[in-house]
Parts: sequence; C-alpha cells; structure tokens
Amino acid sequence: MNRRTLLITLAAPVATPFLTKLAAQSAASGNDTVLIQNATILTITNGTVKGSILLQGGKIAAIGEKVLAPTGAKVIDGAGKFVMPGIIDCHSHIMAEAINEGSVSVSSMVGIEDVLNPEDIGIYRALAGGVTTANILHGSANSIGGKTIVMKMRWGKNAQAMKFEGAMPGIKFALGENPKRAGQAVAAGLAGAPTGARYPATRMGVEDVIREAFNDAKDYKAVWAAYNAKAAKGEIVIPPNRDLKLDALVEVLDGKRLVHAHCYRQDEILMLIHVADDYGFKIRTFQHVLEGYKVAKEIAAHGAGASTFADWWAYKLEAQDAIPWNAAILVKKGVLTSLNSDDAELMRHLDKEAAKTVKYGGLTETEALSLVTINPAKQLKIDNRVGSLEVGKDADVLLYDAHPLSNFSKVEKVWIDGHPYFDRDEDIANRTKKDLEKKALIQKASADQRGPGGRGGTATPPPTTPQEGSNQ
Amino acid sequence: MRFKQLVTFIATASAVFAQPAATGISGAPAAGGDSFIIKGATVHPVSGADIQNGSVIVRNGKILGVGKNLAAPKDLKIIDGKGLHVYPGMIDAATEIGLVEISSVRETSDTTELGKFNPHLVALTAVNPESEHIPVTRFNGITSALTMPAGQLISGQVSLIHLDGWTTDEMGIKPRAGLHMRMPAIATPRGNFAFDSGDAPGGGGRNSFTEAKRNFDKEMAELNEFFESARRYMQLKAAQPAGFKPDLKLDAMIPVLEGKEPVLITAVREREIKDALAFADKQKLKIILLDAQEAWKVTKEIKEHNVPVVLGPMLSLPLNEDDPYDRQYTTPADLLKAGILFSIGTLEGNANLASRNLPFQAAQAVAFGLPHDEAIKAVTINAAQIWGVGDQIGTLEEGKWADLILTDGDPLEATTTVKQVFVKGKPSDMGNKQRQLYEKYINRPN
Amino acid sequence: MTQRFSALWRSRRLPASWSTAALTALALASVAPPHLLAQTKGTWLLQDARIVPVSGPALDHGAVLVRDGLIEAVGANLPGLNIPKDASVIDCKGLTIYPGLVDGLSNWGLTNSPPTSAAPAAGGRGGGRGPAPAPAAPTPTPAPQGQTASRGPEDRPSTTSWIKAADQLYPNDRALETARNGGFTSAVTFPTGNIFSGQGSVINLAGERAGDLVLAEAVGQYLSLRTAGFRSYPGSLMGTIAYIRQIYLDADRYKLAKAIYEKHPQGLQRPAYDRALEGVLASQRILLPATRNVEVERMLAFAQELKINDVKVNAILYGGHEAWRSIDVLKQSGTPVLLSLKYPEKATDADPALDEADRILELRDKAPNTPGALAKAGIKFAFYSDGVATPRELKAAVKKAIDAGLDPAAALRALTLSPAEIFGVSDRIGSIEKGKIANLVVADGDLFATSTKVKYVFIDGARFEPPVEEAAPARPNGGRGAGRGGPAR
Repeated sequence: MNRRTLLITLAAPVATPFLTKLAAQSAASGNDTVLIQNATILTITNGTVKGSILLQGGKIAAIGEKVLAPTGAKVIDGAGKFVMPGIIDCHSHIMAEAINEGSVSVSSMVGIEDVLNPEDIGIYRALAGGVTTANILHGSANSIGGKTIVMKMRWGKNAQAMKFEGAMPGIKFALGENPKRAGQAVAAGLAGAPTGARYPATRMGVEDVIREAFNDAKDYKAVWAAYNAKAAKGEIVIPPNRDLKLDALVEVLDGKRLVHAHCYRQDEILMLIHVADDYGFKIRTFQHVLEGYKVAKEIAAHGAGASTFADWWAYKLEAQDAIPWNAAILVKKGVLTSLNSDDAELMRHLDKEAAKTVKYGGLTETEALSLVTINPAKQLKIDNRVGSLEVGKDADVLLYDAHPLSNFSKVEKVWIDGHPYFDRDEDIANRTKKDLEKKALIQKASADQRGPGGRGGTATPPPTTPQEGSNQ
Repeated sequence: MRFKQLVTFIATASAVFAQPAATGISGAPAAGGDSFIIKGATVHPVSGADIQNGSVIVRNGKILGVGKNLAAPKDLKIIDGKGLHVYPGMIDAATEIGLVEISSVRETSDTTELGKFNPHLVALTAVNPESEHIPVTRFNGITSALTMPAGQLISGQVSLIHLDGWTTDEMGIKPRAGLHMRMPAIATPRGNFAFDSGDAPGGGGRNSFTEAKRNFDKEMAELNEFFESARRYMQLKAAQPAGFKPDLKLDAMIPVLEGKEPVLITAVREREIKDALAFADKQKLKIILLDAQEAWKVTKEIKEHNVPVVLGPMLSLPLNEDDPYDRQYTTPADLLKAGILFSIGTLEGNANLASRNLPFQAAQAVAFGLPHDEAIKAVTINAAQIWGVGDQIGTLEEGKWADLILTDGDPLEATTTVKQVFVKGKPSDMGNKQRQLYEKYINRPN
Repeated sequence: MTQRFSALWRSRRLPASWSTAALTALALASVAPPHLLAQTKGTWLLQDARIVPVSGPALDHGAVLVRDGLIEAVGANLPGLNIPKDASVIDCKGLTIYPGLVDGLSNWGLTNSPPTSAAPAAGGRGGGRGPAPAPAAPTPTPAPQGQTASRGPEDRPSTTSWIKAADQLYPNDRALETARNGGFTSAVTFPTGNIFSGQGSVINLAGERAGDLVLAEAVGQYLSLRTAGFRSYPGSLMGTIAYIRQIYLDADRYKLAKAIYEKHPQGLQRPAYDRALEGVLASQRILLPATRNVEVERMLAFAQELKINDVKVNAILYGGHEAWRSIDVLKQSGTPVLLSLKYPEKATDADPALDEADRILELRDKAPNTPGALAKAGIKFAFYSDGVATPRELKAAVKKAIDAGLDPAAALRALTLSPAEIFGVSDRIGSIEKGKIANLVVADGDLFATSTKVKYVFIDGARFEPPVEEAAPARPNGGRGAGRGGPAR
C-alpha cells in the first residue's frame, strides 16, 4: 500500500484511478483498533452476544456486553446491526489465471499458487459479499488435479501477502463426468474406440487412474528412501529423479496435503473412500458431493467433510438427484459440512445460501451460519485462526445491517486481520470520483491517439500469459 | 379425502415443515375441492393493505372475497390460517421451465429450434407437465411462469402457464402470450474481467468491430425484411386473392403486427435496448424488454416509450469490471424511480438461476433499496400485468384465480416455508422428487 | 562467389557511383571499391564531431579513429599532421556520433527475407526460386519432437533449448537493413516460439556470412509461457510453469548425475543424454516474460526457485509495460528488465461502446512511464523492439518514454551500453571506447528528435549510409500475428 502510494507520486504525473481504487481499500487501515458497540454478535461457537467486540492488533481482543474502548480506538455504533465472522468459501476459482491443466489425467505437478491474480475484481466483489477466506482450487478435468491454496481476500495486497499463512496446502481430485469427459469427447474411431481420447472414459477408469498414480507414488517414495539409505552410508549413487507430480501425491500419503475431491454420485464417493483406505490416506473434503446425503454414514465414518451447494441441481445428469436437503442431512448424520460457491457470483451470497438450509431441513441459525464459517474453517484446518468470533482469533469480521440469514440484509463493512477491506459507505462515496477519473483517462487516450506522433506502438500485443477458459 | 388430510395438517402445522403435505402419488396435480375459506391468517392481497386476522374465500377456483370477518357459506371447508400468511402465488415472468430438464443433456432441451425465424412455434407445445422442475419450483410458492423458446432471432411464442395441471391444456393460462425475439447485438468479445478471458492490455477483443457490425447489419436487415414480408402477407391475406396460400410462419406474425400480441425482446446492453425501442417504433410494435441489464442507463427512453421490462436475475455479476459491485442489485430500484413497470424472470431454468429462487432475486433488490411491497409486486401483479393477465392472477382480489400460497413468513425470505400452494383454488401436491429422496435417505438406518 | 558478394553489398550500400562521387568530393586519399573496403574494414577518421560515448561525458569537436573494425582511438580532434595516412577522413562538423544502437531482444536476422530494394542477386539466397520468400516466414525453430500430444514433462514439449540463434541466421534478412538504416548496429536475437526456445546470440547487423555477424553465440535462453493446447501438456499457464520447474529439477539432477558418472563410470548406470537439459545447462541467463505487475511479481518469485546445483539462474524479465508498479520488487531482486517498445494500444477496430476496465486504460496510459520510473530507481533495463519494425517507430516510442520523464541519456543507454551489459558484451559494444568494436551511428542531431537523420552507420568498421529518406513506412506487420513480429510471447 505504502509502496503504491509512493509510486503514484514517483512515476505518475496524471490521474491513477485503478491504483487509487486499490489503495482506497486499505487507505482506511490507518486505525487498527476498532470497537463495535451495541451490536448483535453472532459468535457461531459461543452463542449470540448483545454488546461489543474489540478488534486490536489484527485479532479479536474482547467480546462482551460492555467493552471499554482503548484510547485511539475507532468506535462504531452497531445498534440494530449484526456482527459475524468472515465467510469462508471452501471452493472457489477466483483470482486464478488458469483453472485446468486438462491435458493429462493426473496433473498434480501444477498448482494454482503459480497463477494467482491478486487484482481480479472477483476478490473485491466476494469481499462485498462477506467472504474473507477462500480455498482456490484447480478445476475438475482430471482424476487427480492440481494443487490448491487457501487465500485471504486482502484486496490491494499482492499474491504473496494474500496467502493464508500456515494454511495446509491441498490438492483437487475429480470423479465422475468431468474427468471422464476428455475420454469421450473425441469422435469414435473405427473400432468404436475414441481416437486421441484421454484415458479414462468411465468411472471405473477414474478409479484405475487414481490407484495407478498412488502405486507410482509409493514406488517413488521407496526409491528415494533406498537412495537416501545408500547415500547415508556413503555409497556412490546417482540420485533418482525428482518428480513434481509424485511429490504432491507423496505429500498426500504423508498427510501433508489435504485432498478435496469433486464428486457427485454416491458410487464414486464410496469408490474414493475405498481407494483412500487401501492406500492409507484421508479425503479431507468431498466437494459438491450432491449425493452425499445417500452415503452420509460412510463419509462420516471416513472422517471426511462435505462441501456442497445449497440447491444447485439439474445442470447435468449426475446432478439429477441433488436435493436442497443435502446439507441438512449431512449435518444431522454427523458429517462436517460446508456450503461453497465454485462460482464468482454465488460466492457473493453464501450467507443467503446458508439461509436455505433453515427451510430445507430445519437447521438452526447457528448450524446454518456454521456452514459458511466455522465448518469450512475446520475443513481447511484453519479453525484455530478463523471461522468464529472468539478472543484471540483473527479479526476477520463482518458488519451487517440486518440478520445475515435475512435476504434483506447486506454486508456493510469487512475487516480482515482487523484492517478494513470493504466499506459500503466508502465504496459508494468513491464512485463519482472513480467515474470522473476514468472519463479523464479515456479522453486523454483518445487525444493521444489523435495527436501527432501518437502511435508509438503498433498492433495489439497478446497478453504475456496464455488464454484459458473458465471451469464452469 | 386428500384435501381433508391437508386441512388437518395445516391446522397442526409445526414450526419446522419436515413432512410432506400429501401422501398420494407424488407429483400428482391438484385434486380435490376448489372451494374453501382461510381464516385467521395475515392476508397480503398486494392490491391493498395487509389484513391482520383476515380471511380469503375461494369458490370454484376463484377468489370470492378477501377481508376481515367475512361471512362464509356454511358448507365451506375451513382452513385455519392462524400464524400463517396468505400471498398471491408468485409469477416467474420469463423462464424455460418445462422446456428443459437437464441443461447439459441436449435431448432434454426443447428451447431452440433450427432456423432464425420461428414465430409459429409455441412453447406450451413442448412443456412437459411431468418435469421435475415444476413441483420443485411450486414448493417455494411460484404458481405461474412465462416459459419461452429462446436462442434464435425469433424463437417462438412464449406461454404463460400455471405450475400445476394434468396436461398442458390444463396448465396453459395464455399459450400465445408474446413473441420472443432476440435483438441483434454487435457482438465483440467483452472479456473485461480478467486476462484469462481474452482481453489483452491492448484491449478491444479478438473480433473486429467492423466484422461484428457487418453481422449485426445483416441480422437487422433480415429482421426488418421478415417483418415487412409478414406485413405484405397480412395485406394479401385480407384481400384473399385467388390462389392465396396460407403460411404458418407469417400467419403467426399477424397478431404481432396488429399490436394485439407483444414482442418480448431480449436486449441486454444499452445499445440493444435503444435498438429495440427504435425497432418497435419503426415496426409499430408493442414490446416488452427482457434481461435489460443496462435498462438503468436508458430509463428515460424506456419510460417515454412506456415499455415494461422483465429483468433477469438480480443475483448476477455486473456486466463490466468497473461497474459498482451492486450494479445488478439496484436496477429494480432505478426502474421504479423512473416509473417503469417491471417484473423479474429467472431466464434459465437450472442451477442458481432456478425458477424456485425467484423470490430471492426480488429480495436482493430489497436489500439494496427497492421497497418491500414493490418487490412483492414485481413477482406477482407486475408480471401478471405485463403478460396481460392482470385481471386474472397476481393479487388476491375477487374474481381472480385462487392462486395463493400459505406461508409461515415472508415469501421473499429463504428461511420461510411455504406450507401450501393453491393453484386455481386447488391445493397442489407439495411433494416432489427431491422431497422423496430426502424422506428416503433421512431415514436410512445408521 | 565474388559476384554474389558484391551484389549483396551493393544492395545494402549506396550505389557505387554515388559513393565514389561523395568520397571524391571529400578528397580522400584512397577510394577502394566497396568489396575491398569491406574486406579490410577500412580505416576511418571521423573528425570534428560531437561524441556521445555513453560510457563517459560527451565530447565536442572530437574524433574517432576506426581501424580494422575496431575503435582505435577516441578523443579530441587530431591535428592534421597526425591524420593516419590510410585513414579516410569524414568531416563530421555538426554531426553527433553515438555508439551503434542495440536491440536488447530481437529476432532480426532469423527471417529468410532478403531486401526488396534489390533485385535478387544471382546465386543469392532465394535467387532462381521465383519471387521473394513470404515476408511472414516464422522464426525457424524445429517442431517439438514427435507428432503425438505431449503427455507430460518427460516428453519435453515445446522445447528446443539446444538451438542457437547463431546457427539459424540469415545474413540477408531484410530486417537487418531496415534496422541499420535507423542506427541499429547490433541485436540480441533469439529463437522464439517455444517454452524453451533456445539460445540467443549477440549479432552485428551486417556481414557476408552468418558467422560474420556473431559476437557472442549463446547469451541466454528465451522462455515463453505458451501452452501446447488443452489436449497436450502443458495445456495451461500453471502447466507451463510447472514444466519449467520440473526441467530445472531434471537439469539439476542431470548435471549431478553426469558428474558422478564421469568420476565413477564403472558400476553405475549411465545417465541418458538429454539435449533439452544440455541446452538448459548451457544457458548463462534465462529470459522470462512479464508484462503486468502481477507477472513481474510472479516471475521474480519463480526465478528464485530455479537453481542448478545450488546456483540460482540469472533471470532477465522481458515485457515490462506495467513494471512502473513493480519498482520495489525489481530493485530488491536486482533483476534486469527488457522493456518492450511496443506499447499496448487500443485495438484499431475496437467496439466504441466497449467499457474497458480502468486497469487496462491505465496500463496503456502508463506504459511509457515505465522506463523513467526504472531509471530513477536505478534498475537496469534495456529497450527492445518487440516487433516494431521501423527504426522511425522505435524512436517515436523512445521519444514517448522521454516525454514521460525518462532522461534522454538514460534512453540512449537503454539502447546501447545497458543491453550490452545485461548480456555480458559491454567489453565489446555499447559505448565509444578504445578497443571496442567500431559500431557507430552518426546523426545530424539528437538521435531521438523526430527531425534527426542518420547520416552514417558503422558496423565492424564498415560504413553504411541510409537512403536519403525512407518513404513513409507502411503499417508494419499489418496487424497482430502477421509479419515478422517481435519475439512471440
């Protein structure tokens, strides 16, 4: 932030709308001690408190009926308003400049971390919908997909500074229609076999790919162990290859990388549980898991979480048995459950998605809000830091103008680590200025274009990074 | 018999609605009596002020009376509405319900016929009364929908239907409610959101404007020519010269040319909206704008033309990267302020655009400035008026169809449960495949 | 041979008659036929010029003595008596001598497109084979091995790391003449088009045979982040990055394995020869693409990871339009930047109703500010042509940067000494210093002023004179993808 402010004076004699926009988000962060008073505080883990919450030093410092304002604290009157923890989305693809490495059935060598775009407007929009943390996933084109990463929505910061410090890395798996699609999309050849198709083309093949990959990973681990043993004894040996693809799978076997598995049907869910049991690793979350309600017992027994949609269905065949009661059944059968977005638009109203579970299945308000706060935090193993309002946790806090489960409510302010990252009043106040600045830029550009010697360059350059479609 | 069970059920309805209302064949259309009185409910007629502890009398499927302390005929069945609310059933003003079952499976989709001009095709023809989407949507209190062919320049006639009925004939309210037309757009890639959507820093997109404009001009010429040929046909038909041969396509255009049938024009951006208004002037058409996401930029012109708007979902991303984050949320309030009649359509019948989530689209507009009663109107009477059936549905008024819903709260809230839906005075089955699966699997032994 | 030789030179130099007349007028001692001049490279004394050596302060009324292709002396005007007898004296009164310009990242010389200004010389390249070759001939890079889609890094997709630009040169590429006429004497030219495209070479922009052009044959590996398509690995940006990472792991191990095997060939399985890794190990530097700030940060972090036997790669970024936002990270890393002179512009045929994002408008607006910002921060950078074909447009682009705050001296440095330093050839080119290669440009004023004309260009001591005035240049390249664009990214 300071760096950018400095830059504006350093290198920019003219208006800089985009940067000032970015800077504006954190410009308000001068005051890091905030006391919200007279609010209804939905702690999620410790009931509802009518009173105050103090954000200090990036953490929640106090919650209670009466909290004294430290000197210098910014005091906000929360009368009639609601405070809750920042929303956590366990499945998002925003801020990624590539989604799928679809060329291979196992793409565990790639990672979203390499292609983060901290300037994706989707981040700001998600913030405005109350999301403070998101699990950014590789797409679902492969039986074993790429590496995932947990990010905080620190809009205006760079990619490195947005990473959720200490959060465990993950990996995407995918079952069912998506990974087998590449095996079927190509026209059938003479013998009826798809030509140029990528294995697998069936759910059976998906299982095979995963098993083969873990066989390889176990071999790889053994080869390295043997080498290390010899090398330790001082033998002259040539080291084996490092293989990024298998490194990631060894991390799964060693419990150092969380598996997030895209799935729909109950058969494939069971399949993956069996594979994981056979190879001795755990599935951390089943993603989408629209038929999870059919095998809730097995999911719970495996110790996996479920991260699903509130009510999406009918967009493909394997989503036909999706029911909006899925989350409620899973919760009632003891599965750690969350609601996710998988979509930049849905991501903006996960609170309203949670509200649907009150209707469909009769979850309590706390159970419903847990689906987008503490539960995804547990699934991502970051619940010691976020997911509820507790003293000592990160000050990732939302202020609403009404109850978050009401469809008439909206997010007014968002703090992450105690810094304000979204403020609806500021957003509205800045709109006219932003418009004017943009108009000035457009005018300047067209004047340059018309002016003498204006054409310094030639054709439109392609972006440095290659293009890729999204993963819907 | 079944109805009696229902009455009992409602009277003893628990706070959390977990059991299906009817135990008959799931998905069976409304059966039983269509005369009753709801007593002691909070009645929201929409046409007037809310009535605490009010009654609604329904006889032979029509509303006989709405008010406080109404005298009801003795033989009328009584539904205890204590603690409940009565609203008119909601209307999805533009969707594809009944025409698409699974969006990714082509065989289950009947929205888009071959050919650019299909004014003679009628949506109702292809509505599947057994579609799982119908009971699922009804479950949230939506009792009617405007379902539409889509995709081509003129894709067919849109049909206003009831979301209950044994056959399409029973479901149809207005089979030929309008002609769905897509306003040609100068389609240059917009990709302004991220670099992976195709925009280089050099900007502008991959296709040239010139090329896109050429395609646009061609489509506009085709459209105008089609309307002109229809007009010539109309005159010829009136003259009935020897050897006159009827033409199904052109015949279907006559009500449109005569201004008896509106044209529903999909026009998303400012340029298309303005083009649509100009086209309507030129061809002397009565039009309704659909999915006019930039209507807020053109409110003056729309108002001057007195054209109603069916907005798409509020829960959509802004069109442009630099648009305010709440751009789609505030459009209804902008239209209201401009005095433009509007309603809401969910457009595509699946996933988050599901018709069943119509009320939450309206609610989002409320959160961002639309008065609550206007939001209710947008999904009830406004839709009825726009589709020319304001005298039949959309409010609780004497003489209208008894399309009403009994809820435990505000129907725009996701936490609200719709206890019972009545279509044409008949209680609808509140079960559906999803509830069946719920019942089945919640009871799977541990 | 001789016939071909002279035809070639005639085509690029002044008409012999004109040249002779001019030299006669100057009453020079010896007037050798062009081919003879070129063979001996001549001895020239450039008198009474303003000299901008770049490596030091400018000198008025100075002289440069060129002999055998090298700068033999530079200093104050020589008294008449001391004029070497063999020297052709050029009176440079009112003229300014600069070091020859260097394109920091180019593909000049890699296209088989002889000048159109000359009739195809008998026996010359392309001669007797009908019309001139298509101008849009792509950089000659071998196709990736095999016909089938790549299934992973082990297939070494989109990799030609072992090839060298020096081995792919076309000395009759018409781009050389065009560039020369604008004052360019050298370029760091790279094979492009693959993820590991191959080694770039520092070349001079004139010479009879390909080998004559080369100053340094392998100065760095050109990397792009291209993909191989959805069905062939890598199919995504992250796949490409992972591929590069894997290649460096492989190369790291390969080097180690070879060393171990060399010492203990008996009892060990020999490591398989891998030309892709050989090419990577031979790379003194790697060029990574980064146009936006996000990409600069991404590539700087990535470069930190790439090591061979614990030695970090020498990374250079290219692109840099938005690097004005990346000053701190660039400064901290010490990574040099090659700045594209092809500023991003709105497409000529863009939709007037297109609501372009602030960030795109701003990127376009600020791209010319980048050089000034980098210069102020002391970050090493050089300019590169990036497909901007005519020197006139290149100069206009530099002028734009100067107008946006770049010190003119820094601009000149970014086209002379800085690229030479970045690629390790500043002991040979980039400034006017005794002992360096005689690559000079003589102009009638400030090099970047629009009215200024280049009078002479010296390459390896051979003199060239641009035509009196170029016709208004045709739109180069005719749009994206066409023409011989800059190094494709």
